[in-house]
Amino acid sequence: MTTVSTVVMADTFTSASISYSALMPMLIVFVVALAEVLVAGFATRESRHALQVGLSLIGLLGALAALLLGARFHQGVTASVADAAGSRQLGAVVVDGPTIFLQAGVLVLALLAVLIMSERLGGIGADAFTPMGAANPGSVQERAAQRAGLTTSEAFPLMMLAVGGMMLFVAAGDLLTLFVGLEVLSLPLYILTGLARRRRLLSQEAALKYFLLGAFSSAFLLFGAALLYGYAGSVYLSEIASAISAGQPDREVLLVPGVLLVLVGLLFKVGAVPFHSWTPDVYQGAPTPVTGFMAACTKLAAFGAMLRVVYVGAAGDRWNWSVVVVVIAALTMIVGAVMSVTQTDVKRLLAYSSIAHAGFILTGVLAFDVTGVSAVMFYLVTYGLTTIAAFGIVYLVRDVQSGSEATHLSQWAGLGRKHPVAAATFAFLMLAFAGIPLTSGFVAKLGAFGAAVGHGGASGAVLAVIGVLSSAITVFVYVRIIVMMYFTEPAENAVEVVSPSILAKVAIGFCAVLTLALGIAPKLLLDWAANASLFLS
Amino acid sequence: MTNPYVPIIIMVALGAAFALISVGTSLIVGPKRYNRAKMEAYECGIQPTPHASGGGKVPIKYYLTAMLFIIFDIESVFLYPFAVAFDRLGLFALVEMVLFIVTVFVAYAYVWRRGGLDWDY
Amino acid sequence: MSAFLAVPALLPGVLPGAENPVADFSDTPFWLSIVKGVLIFVYLLLSTLLVIWFERRVIGRMQQRPGPNRNGPFGLLQTLADGMKSMFKEDVRPANADKWVFTIAPLIAATMCVVSFSIIPLGPDVYLFGHRTPLQLTDVPVAVLLVLAVASVGAYGIILAGWSSGSTYPLMGGLRSTAQVISYEIAMGLSLVAVFLFSGSMSTSSIVGSQASMWYVVPAFFSFAVYLVTMVGETNRLPFDLAEGEGEIVGGFHTEYGSMRFAMFFLAEYINMFTVSALATTMFLGGWQAPPIISLINDNVVGGGWWGLLWFTTKLWLFMFFFVWLRGTLPRVRYDQFMHFGWKFLIPVTVTWVVAVAFIRGAQPPLNYFGKGALTIGNKAVSIPLLVIISVIAVIALAATWVWDERANAAAMAAAPEAEEEIDPFAGGFPVPPMPGQRLKEPAYAGPRSTAAVVTDGDAVSEATDGDSGTPDPGAAWFTTSEEEPRG
Repeated sequence: MTTVSTVVMADTFTSASISYSALMPMLIVFVVALAEVLVAGFATRESRHALQVGLSLIGLLGALAALLLGARFHQGVTASVADAAGSRQLGAVVVDGPTIFLQAGVLVLALLAVLIMSERLGGIGADAFTPMGAANPGSVQERAAQRAGLTTSEAFPLMMLAVGGMMLFVAAGDLLTLFVGLEVLSLPLYILTGLARRRRLLSQEAALKYFLLGAFSSAFLLFGAALLYGYAGSVYLSEIASAISAGQPDREVLLVPGVLLVLVGLLFKVGAVPFHSWTPDVYQGAPTPVTGFMAACTKLAAFGAMLRVVYVGAAGDRWNWSVVVVVIAALTMIVGAVMSVTQTDVKRLLAYSSIAHAGFILTGVLAFDVTGVSAVMFYLVTYGLTTIAAFGIVYLVRDVQSGSEATHLSQWAGLGRKHPVAAATFAFLMLAFAGIPLTSGFVAKLGAFGAAVGHGGASGAVLAVIGVLSSAITVFVYVRIIVMMYFTEPAENAVEVVSPSILAKVAIGFCAVLTLALGIAPKLLLDWAANASLFLS
Repeated sequence: MTNPYVPIIIMVALGAAFALISVGTSLIVGPKRYNRAKMEAYECGIQPTPHASGGGKVPIKYYLTAMLFIIFDIESVFLYPFAVAFDRLGLFALVEMVLFIVTVFVAYAYVWRRGGLDWDY
Repeated sequence: MSAFLAVPALLPGVLPGAENPVADFSDTPFWLSIVKGVLIFVYLLLSTLLVIWFERRVIGRMQQRPGPNRNGPFGLLQTLADGMKSMFKEDVRPANADKWVFTIAPLIAATMCVVSFSIIPLGPDVYLFGHRTPLQLTDVPVAVLLVLAVASVGAYGIILAGWSSGSTYPLMGGLRSTAQVISYEIAMGLSLVAVFLFSGSMSTSSIVGSQASMWYVVPAFFSFAVYLVTMVGETNRLPFDLAEGEGEIVGGFHTEYGSMRFAMFFLAEYINMFTVSALATTMFLGGWQAPPIISLINDNVVGGGWWGLLWFTTKLWLFMFFFVWLRGTLPRVRYDQFMHFGWKFLIPVTVTWVVAVAFIRGAQPPLNYFGKGALTIGNKAVSIPLLVIISVIAVIALAATWVWDERANAAAMAAAPEAEEEIDPFAGGFPVPPMPGQRLKEPAYAGPRSTAAVVTDGDAVSEATDGDSGTPDPGAAWFTTSEEEPRG
């Protein structure tokens, strides 16, 4: 057997150097996700829900611990190879300040989302998810699955995979890793969107729309990556930056289209106008806890990746492409604010509000300064906390007769009298969205617009003005909800706020308290964001 | 020396030419006797089942098989370069490939348990 | 080598290293490639004509009848006569069929089936029209991948034929056939990985070249076994010819085809058999290399030149006989059994085998991934990690088969019907066959019963069947025996 073949000695292959402690948080999340897949296959039907929720919480907490106790002290590029000159390391994964901050943000927000997602409301499995995703809505099979006590416990491994993808997404040091991260975070979300227990057709339609448009935007990102590779001869962001500073006169034409196409892929994920058309439908159709998770974590991950692409890779050429993004930011704020005025469905309203917020955050991104980075990161975390709590409450407001969520605004009339705590919390969260002082939303907006005015030049100032005006429009929307809840007679068809388990209560309360705390004493988080705002390349 | 892929095209051309000539000749020399029954779908002599245009619906099992096929075909496609370069990649690649296979087989075990591999479930 | 490596990316598609073909085409002008292509094509067509006659004759012998023996010596021209006859048949296209796809499908099948042979090495270097050239049309670094890719494109011919016929049976046949081909393609592709691990190349000429000292059928014996099964599944041959199971769906995907279009599918099926056999010969049986004992004759005088074509053809026809033998021996399997076997057995077992081979290969001397310790047994050094790995694999394999066996036994026990009480077939006065799971009591005395007993029992039966309400299990009423109720 030994004589079968000759051995060719190592010639072109060099293995990458990997720091496992820096990657440990992601590895924990992915291993737990795989374990949950096995649980979904092998555990008994009764024990699945408890096992899945427990594993998810343990995995997320473990990853958070590994991040704060381990990876934080092993910053640097990893999964890396030396560049052609041998002078520095090119990493597929970059673990630096923003990565740590954003990964911690994703993990905390995902933890809170899991707590709300696991709400059973007295059933066998998570109440938000259909018993059988493959069955036709309203079919015999679906009813049979319901009776047999089936649950879609796969929602939890799917969510863990999405979280892993998001963590990779914000740490991606090259365009290919960026793409892999994008797909790993997107594909589970497409499926999760289609798993709503109630209004199945709407949910499936949303999933299909999200999938088609998402696949389209992934293709844009990939095409842009190909152009940038053609321009720089490398997919590493740091190499692209050096190529830009060195100048490539004969390939200049590839650069701006490449950057813009990559940004299209990312702007789609954050729901910026004109790539926002999926947002209202998907936010409305997806199971509400998933909507909260998506709105908070996807936005955070996508903006994190965008920060890295823009600041590490493409900033050197920003004079040539930033004007397009400035226009997009302005449009996003205006369209998001104006469209939210006309909405009559709470989930759609929050979707348009999230579009407007994407515009505000984009304003901070376009500051091209470290203050912009820290402001954006702070904004993302505070917005995520507020959003998860808001969707958590939307999830609990139910129509008494059908048991489905009462998402039409008219159904919320008079909610403040019957359910003062839930209504007060929701009203407070609305004020945070509006950016009223003493809420985290105010501090976040102040930071983003301040960075834009301070470092963004004329375009930054214009964007800040548009941002303030749009905020004023959105204040009207949020106040209208508050008026509806407190100063309108209750509607005919009764609406109740179902009482969730202690876990969901804790999650919503925690988010609301943090929204207040970060409005009063934001210094701790602001300092951390400021300290963590330097990119390694 | 010509490009090594060109002779493959020669072979395709030969095959296509032979097939075209055979079928073409039979079209020309064969008889043509119209008969309405002859043009109907053959179902052992009974009245043909009405057939939806475009094939109609087919059992979902086939889609499932196709999707699973893609997963495992990609797995084996990843194994090919690994196997070819095995001598040069070192122990690291062996460990990585085992981890990769384990990952794929977690999904495989899940599909098996959930009846995805049972043909008549 | 180092000079070669200095220009790594200047030749697109040609990578440095052992994966490149060893066949040397530098003295092969373009016109010679065309000539070789035509020769290979003629070789294939003649082989097909011959193998159809061969199959019918051998099957005939196996079934105690002569087989075709009228046209030409030993009936050799029978296939040619059949082909000519189908050419003069009417070319019917059903009214329901999709005009273009229906026409294109057989063309795709017939075109793609011959392509794989362009990379099969039929022999070593020979002199052809004054040029020294390999008996192989061409070779590329990913040659085996090309075979698999072409096989997949060929599957389009089948699915399109089934879909475009506008009829139910062909649709089912086309779907079945495609599901079958792709299911077994995975196991087939995985079984070849072990060969690549040994050869370090996907080029067919390199693979044949590296088998000079030992055919890969020895180290990769399990892959060979898996390949043998999957190649039958891939070509839709008995016992896996479910796509055209006559008893179920008439002719399967080609039900609506006649005349030369049908002949194209027929041709493609047989050439595909040759292709998978040729690949098996190349990958496992040393291709054109002379068999071990014969190669010792006179310092391997029979190993080179045109001799290679002889050995290759011999090995090829061994596989063809194997196909015919299977057809003459085995009945068709059920579709679900077929799919279960592919998905639940072949795939996991083959992957495990590939991993085992990778570990064994890594433990061997030139690589020594797991340490260099060696034992000297006799006068041969044997790597200790290798021994450890092989014993671990053996233990795992034994444990797996033991568990498998236990579970199969347990399943058989569980499935076995519980022995119910014996029933008396003549309880009601007339013989009654047992229900499933019931055991007959041998009647000790089968003498005549009284008339009264018959009448009484007849009433009981009619009650049980009419009412259906009184007794929960009507079957029980049927078999109440006379011991319990003394009858009048």
